[in-house]
Amino acid sequence: MTTQNTPAPDRVADRKRRNAARIAGEVERELQSLRGREDRLAGYDYFLDLLAGGIHPGAVERRTGMPALNLLCIQAPLELIHAAGFLPFKIFSGSHAADALNAGGLPALTCPLLRSVQGLLQFEDSLARRPWVLPTTCDWIVKLPEMLRSTCPDAKMPDHWLELPHLKETDAGREHWRDEVFRLKKFLENASGRRIGRKDLARSIATYSRAWEALSRLEARRQAGAIPFVWFLALANTFFLDAPERWTASVDALIPTLPDNAGRKEGRIFFAGSPVYFPNFKLPRLIEEAGIAVTGDDLCSSGRIFPGGVSADAASEHELVAALAQRYHQGCLCPVFADNDRRVHNILAVAGNFSGVLFHVLKGCHPYDLESHSLENALKRQGLKFIRLETDYTAEDSRNLLTRLEAFRQTLGEA
Amino acid sequence: MVITVRRLRTTAQYVSFIVLMYGGRFGVNLGSAVPCFACPFVRGCGGQCYLLGVQGVLGFGMNLESLTGAPLFSALGWVAVFIILTALLGKIWCGWVCPFGLVQDWFSLLRRKLGVRERMASEKTLRLLSPAKYILLGYIAVLPPLVTVGLLPSSFYLPFCNICPGKALLPLFTLDGEYVAVLYSTFWTALPAVTAITLVGMFFKDRFFCVFCPMLALIHLLKPVTAIRLLKDNDSCVGCGNCTRACPMGISGVSRERERFDVQFDSCLDCARCAESCPSDGALRLNWHRRTLFSSSRLYASRRFRKP
Repeated sequence: MTTQNTPAPDRVADRKRRNAARIAGEVERELQSLRGREDRLAGYDYFLDLLAGGIHPGAVERRTGMPALNLLCIQAPLELIHAAGFLPFKIFSGSHAADALNAGGLPALTCPLLRSVQGLLQFEDSLARRPWVLPTTCDWIVKLPEMLRSTCPDAKMPDHWLELPHLKETDAGREHWRDEVFRLKKFLENASGRRIGRKDLARSIATYSRAWEALSRLEARRQAGAIPFVWFLALANTFFLDAPERWTASVDALIPTLPDNAGRKEGRIFFAGSPVYFPNFKLPRLIEEAGIAVTGDDLCSSGRIFPGGVSADAASEHELVAALAQRYHQGCLCPVFADNDRRVHNILAVAGNFSGVLFHVLKGCHPYDLESHSLENALKRQGLKFIRLETDYTAEDSRNLLTRLEAFRQTLGEA
Repeated sequence: MVITVRRLRTTAQYVSFIVLMYGGRFGVNLGSAVPCFACPFVRGCGGQCYLLGVQGVLGFGMNLESLTGAPLFSALGWVAVFIILTALLGKIWCGWVCPFGLVQDWFSLLRRKLGVRERMASEKTLRLLSPAKYILLGYIAVLPPLVTVGLLPSSFYLPFCNICPGKALLPLFTLDGEYVAVLYSTFWTALPAVTAITLVGMFFKDRFFCVFCPMLALIHLLKPVTAIRLLKDNDSCVGCGNCTRACPMGISGVSRERERFDVQFDSCLDCARCAESCPSDGALRLNWHRRTLFSSSRLYASRRFRKP
C-alpha cells in the first residue's frame, strides 16, 4: 500500500520544484498587485520585502539567524517560544496553489486553509525540517496530521501537541492548560538545549509587548481610516517573517507617515470570521472594489494575530509562564471554545462603532460557520447591518461575491 | 515624562508617607481620624490612624467622666470626620495613601527583584482568608467595651494597637533608637510574633497585611457612602486575567464577573492596577461620583508592559 503510493524520489523532487514555482508565482502576482497600488507608501516597502523574501521558515532563518519553529493557530505562547531561542513561525495558509495540490483523499468540504497547509507540509522542505507545535483547536487542525499521513506517508508530523481545553472559564480547564504550557516549556528546552529562565521570559514578554504596542497604535490609526484593509492584512501577515524587534521598529517608522485621515467616514465595516492569509487576498480586494472600507477586524491572521499585553509584574519564572498560559487561553477569542459567549459579546460591543459587520466563512470552516448564525441574530437585534460571505480560495465566485458586496454597500448607504 | 496612573500613585504614596510619618515635625496635623495606618506611635506623625480613635471611643469606660460635654462632642466630631474622609476617597486611602501599604510594596518590590514566586495568592486561599479582616474588626469592636464594663483589665484598652505590626515597624522610620526602645519595652508578647509573621508574609505575598486589615474592612462597610467605584463593562471584557495578575490582593472576581457593573470587591484597594493593565477599551473604569478618573484602554495597557 505504502510503496504503491510513494512515487520515485526524482519524481518527488520534480513535483516539489514545480509546486514551489507555482506557489512562488502566486505570491509574486499578489505582490505585484500590492506594489502597483496607488496608496502604497514608502513605509510599506519593508513589509513587501519580507513577503517577497519567501513565506517559509528558511527565509526567516536566513534573515534573523534564529532557528524557526512551525506553528498553527494562536494559542502557543510566542513569548515562551522566543525565550527558548526560537523564532515562532506561523505557517502561511493562504496559498491556493498549495490548496490545489491536494487532489484526493480528503473530505469533499475540507477547509481550504487546512488544505493549503497540508499542501505546503507535503511539498515545502523548509517546513519539514523545523519543529512543529500544534494546539488542538478545531477538528480540522486535530485531524490534520492524520489526513496528512494518509495522503503522504512521510509527511512532516507535529513534534509537540498542545491539548487546548475547550472550556476556559472553569478551573479544571485553566489548570489543564497551564500544565500544558509548562509541558511546552519542557519540550522547547529539550528542543533548543537551553533552559528558559525568568530573565529570558521577561525579555521576550517585553519584546512582544513592544510589538503589541506598535500593533495597537497601528490598529488605532486603522480604525481612523488611515490604513486600507489590504495593507493592514499584509502588515499583520508579515509579523512572523522577521525578528519581532525589527518588525516593531518598521511599524513604528511607518505610523507617522500614514495619512491623517484617509477615506470617508460612512460605509466603514467590521470584518469578522475565518482568517484571511497572504497570498489569498481575494475577498479584501473585492470588498474594496465594492466601495466598502474595513476599519476593524477580528481575524486571527490580522487584528488578533497575537494577544500581547501580558501583565507580567510578577517576576518569578513560574508566575511568568502561568501568566502567559492565562493570557493565551482565557483571553483567547477563537470560536472553538465551548464557553464562548465573551467572544460574541465582545464583537457586539465593538460592532456598534461600525456601519455593519461582514462575516467571512471559509467553506468547511465549522467553528465560524456555526457562530455566524448566532452572531447574525444578535447583531440584527441591535439594528446593525450584517452580511455573511462563504467562499474558498478559488476565483470562480468573485463576480457573485462582488454583486452581493455591492448590494451590501447600498444598505450601508441607507443607514 | 508621561503622566501615568502608576507614577501618580507612587508619587501620592511617597508624599503621603512623608506627610503622615513626619508631618508633625513641620506642624502638619491631619487630625485623629485618618482612614489609614498613620501610626500615632510614630513620634512627629502628621495624623493619626482612626483605629486608635475607634478603640478610644469604644473603651470610653477608661475615663467615664469624659463621656459628657466637650470630649463627647470631640469624639463624635472625629466620627464625622472619618466618615467624610472615607466617603471622599474610599479605599484610595489604602492603595494610594497608607504608609504601611507603601512599606509592604517595598517588600513586594524586593521579592520581584529576586525573582521569588508569590505565595498565598491562590483564589482558594484568599477566599478562605477573606473573613479575617472582619474578625479583626469585631475584635476591635468587642474588647474595648469589655474593658469599660470591667470584664477585661485596662491593658486591653487598645487591643488592636497592641497586636498591630504597624506599631512595631512604622516607628522605626523615626530613626530615634531611644524612643523605639522605650516603645518596644511596653509591647505585648504577641506583638513580636505578629510582626515576625507579617515581615515574612509581606515578602512572600503582595500587601500581606491588607488581607487582615480591619481598616480595609471598616472602609468597605462604609462603601454605600463612598464616592469611588470600580466599574466594569462586561461586554468588552475578554477574560484574559490581566487584572487579577496585576492585583496586589489577587482579586479574581473582576475578571470572572459576567453580570455586575460594580466590581469593587471587599478586598479591593482602589489602586487601579487592574484598570491600568486591562487591554480592552473601557472595560474597567475607576469613577469618583460618576466622573471617570481612569478608563482602561488598549493603548495605555500596551505601554504598560514594554519594559522587562
